[in-house]
Amino acid sequence: MNLEKEQVIVDTILQKAPYAEGKVRRQRRIEFKIPADRIRDFLTLLKENNFESMMQITAVDWPKDGEIELVYQMWSYTYAVHAFVKTRIPRDVDKAKVPSVRDIYPVAETYERDAHEFYKVTFEGNDKLEMPWILEDEDREAGVSHRKDFDMLSYVKRKYKLLDRFEEDKENYVI
Amino acid sequence: MVSQQELIREARENGMELLPLEKDTYELFFGPQHMATENYSLILKMDGHRVVKAIANPGFLHRGFEKLAEYRPWYTNIALLLRICVPEPDVPEAIYSMAVDELMGWEVPERAQWIRTTVLEMARVSAYLFWTMGMAFKLGVYTAGQWAAAYRERFMALFEQLTGARVYHIYTIPGGVRRDIPGDKWLRQLKDTVEYLKDKLKDFDNVLFENYITFKRLEGIGVMDKKFALEEGVTGPNLRATGVRADVRKFDPYLLYPELDFEVPVLREGDSLARALVRRFELEQDLYILEQLLEMGPPSGPYKVEHAGFKALPRFKVPAGDAYAHVESSKGDFGAYVVSDGGNKPYRVQIRGPSIAHGIRVIEQLLVGARLADVPVILVSLDNCPPDIDR
Repeated sequence: MNLEKEQVIVDTILQKAPYAEGKVRRQRRIEFKIPADRIRDFLTLLKENNFESMMQITAVDWPKDGEIELVYQMWSYTYAVHAFVKTRIPRDVDKAKVPSVRDIYPVAETYERDAHEFYKVTFEGNDKLEMPWILEDEDREAGVSHRKDFDMLSYVKRKYKLLDRFEEDKENYVI
Repeated sequence: MVSQQELIREARENGMELLPLEKDTYELFFGPQHMATENYSLILKMDGHRVVKAIANPGFLHRGFEKLAEYRPWYTNIALLLRICVPEPDVPEAIYSMAVDELMGWEVPERAQWIRTTVLEMARVSAYLFWTMGMAFKLGVYTAGQWAAAYRERFMALFEQLTGARVYHIYTIPGGVRRDIPGDKWLRQLKDTVEYLKDKLKDFDNVLFENYITFKRLEGIGVMDKKFALEEGVTGPNLRATGVRADVRKFDPYLLYPELDFEVPVLREGDSLARALVRRFELEQDLYILEQLLEMGPPSGPYKVEHAGFKALPRFKVPAGDAYAHVESSKGDFGAYVVSDGGNKPYRVQIRGPSIAHGIRVIEQLLVGARLADVPVILVSLDNCPPDIDR
């Protein structure tokens, strides 16, 4: 498998961004790891280097490490290469902050709203985060729904009053 | 003729109170029950029949697929994730399976690759027919809409023979496909259907795509340019209608696409008409691809990787790591990002629907200044699939 093109892209970007770690994963997939406070610099650099489009921002919760991993997935139409840009931020709700990149990639606004609603990651500089998105108010108050420590079973029971209903007419249930 | 200002002055002199003109807007709730919105809701601020501001509100499904997927074994997620987009359920199956294949390090057998490619193309054709139906109905060309629905029915019947289900197929699985093709009779039927539809495309042209009404209703409506589309992350036919030759099948090839010969239709105008015509040309190319695949014929061999798979569902484990796979669907670039921690369930699955890019910010910006009558047309020309956004 010829990986020259990918290697050249990774080398060019690493030369301009010494704070990053990068590697070629396979054909047309490259990966970078960067500190969270340099995300704006790095994505600006990627945009200058023909990564025109942002595919999505994924938040992955790692409670064991006490961290949330943000994966910015970038696509270059010029090189036909997909770049994973990974960064880790603390998991505490007060500290889970990262600068917003919506002025660099306007589409990021939508994905940032998504990550904020489901993972409580605050993107500083995005004023649309608190706007109503997919969840309703009562669901939002129940906790951070997509994090690993969210107790889905008790939430479902509470929300649909399954336990109460069961307790009320226990005699009618045939189990 | 008396001007508006004079009327207002006269009314004020007679002691009538009038609201200032700039506040003379009203809010219109468009959807989710409106036919054109497809369980998607817009709040439109209107001035007369012009849209001043649009706010998109996609949260009407509340299904939480991504969270549910973390609670289910690897294989059973297929039956969950395909419900993301109803007109094209094979795409989420395929991308999830391709990502899991990459994590497992599996080389999918050639026969399975052929079947997967055929199924994906059939899904694209039936999704384009579904879109043609929607567009024809919104333009009032009901004949073409009913034809499209009827032709799509033929593909549904073929899917039923192949997979046992009409809409939700649950067919592509990690490592191949769930079962083999029914036999040569099915291949002949597919060939007949493709030839029949190819013949009937002329009728679609006559009635819908070369229709005076279509041109009048779509030309110059909802225009977006190349730079705007790229910045907003628009993909698929919507991006190709602005002049970007972007197709995942061409420059991130998967399955059998590198061996197939097809063109990527591109138009420059970026309006609703260009988007409609790109889809029309795509339909033709897809039929051409299906013809080539049928000519090639399914290679012999196994149709899935030999492994414990279904026999050991709860114990089936995937090595730790992450993978991203994407395909070109009828709506655009559909991707799946799968993270595994080595367990018997996915650690995180995120599906990247194409509609999340052009369904929120793009619509909010394209609708500003549009007439109320054009709102459904713009919505349909972008080919939104709201479940993509609210997954």
